[in-house]
Amino acid sequence: MLELSSSPASSLLFSLLSAKKAHGSSTFAALRCPNGSVFSITFSQARDRGRTSLPTIREAFLQMCNLPVRVVCRANAEYMSPSGKVPFIHVGNQVVSELGPIVQFVKAKGHSLSDGLDEVQKAEMKAYMELVNNMLLTAELYLQWCDDVTVEEITHPRYGSPYPWPLNRILSYQKQWEIRRKMKAIGWAGKSLEQVLEDVDQCCQALSQRLGTQPYFFNKQPTELDALVFGHLFTILTTQLITDELSEKVKNYGNLTAFCRRIEQQYFEGHDKDSSATASARCAKRDQCCQLNWKMELNSCSLLSDLGFTMELN
Amino acid sequence: PSAADRNAQACFLNCCLTLACANQIIFCNLLQAYAKFAGAPLIVNTINNSWSSPKADVPVLISEDIVISQPAKILNFLRKQRYNADYELSAKQGADTLAYIALLEEKLLPALLHTFWVEAENYCSVTKPWFASRIPFPLSLYLPGKMSREALNRILLTRGGPPLYSLTEVEAQIYRDAKECLNLLSKRLGTSQFFFGNTPTTLDAFVFGFLAPVYKVCFPRVQLQEHLKELTNLCRFCDDILTCYFKLTVTDG
Repeated sequence: MLELSSSPASSLLFSLLSAKKAHGSSTFAALRCPNGSVFSITFSQARDRGRTSLPTIREAFLQMCNLPVRVVCRANAEYMSPSGKVPFIHVGNQVVSELGPIVQFVKAKGHSLSDGLDEVQKAEMKAYMELVNNMLLTAELYLQWCDDVTVEEITHPRYGSPYPWPLNRILSYQKQWEIRRKMKAIGWAGKSLEQVLEDVDQCCQALSQRLGTQPYFFNKQPTELDALVFGHLFTILTTQLITDELSEKVKNYGNLTAFCRRIEQQYFEGHDKDSSATASARCAKRDQCCQLNWKMELNSCSLLSDLGFTMELN
Repeated sequence: PSAADRNAQACFLNCCLTLACANQIIFCNLLQAYAKFAGAPLIVNTINNSWSSPKADVPVLISEDIVISQPAKILNFLRKQRYNADYELSAKQGADTLAYIALLEEKLLPALLHTFWVEAENYCSVTKPWFASRIPFPLSLYLPGKMSREALNRILLTRGGPPLYSLTEVEAQIYRDAKECLNLLSKRLGTSQFFFGNTPTTLDAFVFGFLAPVYKVCFPRVQLQEHLKELTNLCRFCDDILTCYFKLTVTDG
């Protein structure tokens, strides 16, 4: 049983898992939000209290490795995680958090996506993963927590939604203070929104140039880098914020949007057809109702869904 | 850009860089290296008075009336003035440059900051006296301590969350990451002279900027330097750049 607490990183795992069918059982993913309703892992309607789940990086990774996974949403996910970070996975007795350790854990169990790469390619892959973490992740955090308009209208309500007043305000202010301290330490506090968007553009340009016309970053097979990039870009593209500037930056690069579409079709739409359990049958119907429309408007954003939800593998 | 163009530009371009603090030495080395590769005429000044640097922020590039103080902006400025070391790189190589720079900043920089500013023996015996000797009296009491605290703060905020609970665990982790980063760079460099063929580019400048302080400064506690010395191709890389492009050997100043 693999329980995974998800964030944009989850779609990576999810995708990677479906590349190799490990147990022969169909991949099933259900998202259970704190109020008990079950959503599909990929598409869900926005609700006022429950939050949307989007295929996130770790989900993608697990999908690509063809490992069956179930996503569960918990309000206290940050506290359940050993490192305080979401997502994390819960396998049997073990709990592993953050993308790097999860990849190593899955590798230790015999599933790895980067075995076919030589040393120089592995170095390149690690460098690109750092680039994505450095630029895209920090930009996402900046936009969520340091841009006043977004913070007031989207982030505070979303982050505090599982808790009653005044806990919701206290926790979200605390998180905001923490993130702003970090931004100041790395020198991003002084940046304006335009500069951050320019950095995102530069990063997307680099990714686009690296991808070129290939299907994946290292040609024929997906790797951790593909899942990581997919998770971030997909979240950026499908989350509605105050303005569309961030997603516009990504949409400028046709091959990146095609890349996201391709992975999403291959690993997520295929999975939806497999779900057959009763709970998942409900999900499946809901899935079909909310099929991913690339321009679908969501009412709330779960960028870096730090509400956190756990995934369970069966 | 032809040599003639560059010379014409040189007549109009007067730059000075201030060399002040140890982690800025990374950027100063980097900028000097970049400028050498691109052929920009740079006059490097060691400024004794940090007050005079416009925002008390170093390194600083002053070109005629324009003052620019962040390394990335300085590089952009040099590029726009047509001193471009990446002229012959392909788009993919340009993308690789950005990725490797991110790798350096994420994996290597925390360990460098630690070696220079947080490790008590290094800080007290090398960094602080050297730094304090180059800035005027009242500042020399206050500024080194401030930079040390900022370095520690940065390390703890970016790398110090659970499951690493004590400073020693964080230190162990950042040095492991730094050694892994050095290994990756060594594998990427292989046997070639520079990272993209036979001419140096921005990435070479960045790598040199990060490695040279580790390679050349004599610290009491030197685990990173020992690891670097085992990677002979990186040492050769630094030595080549020092002999070809810098007439004087870089000392600890």
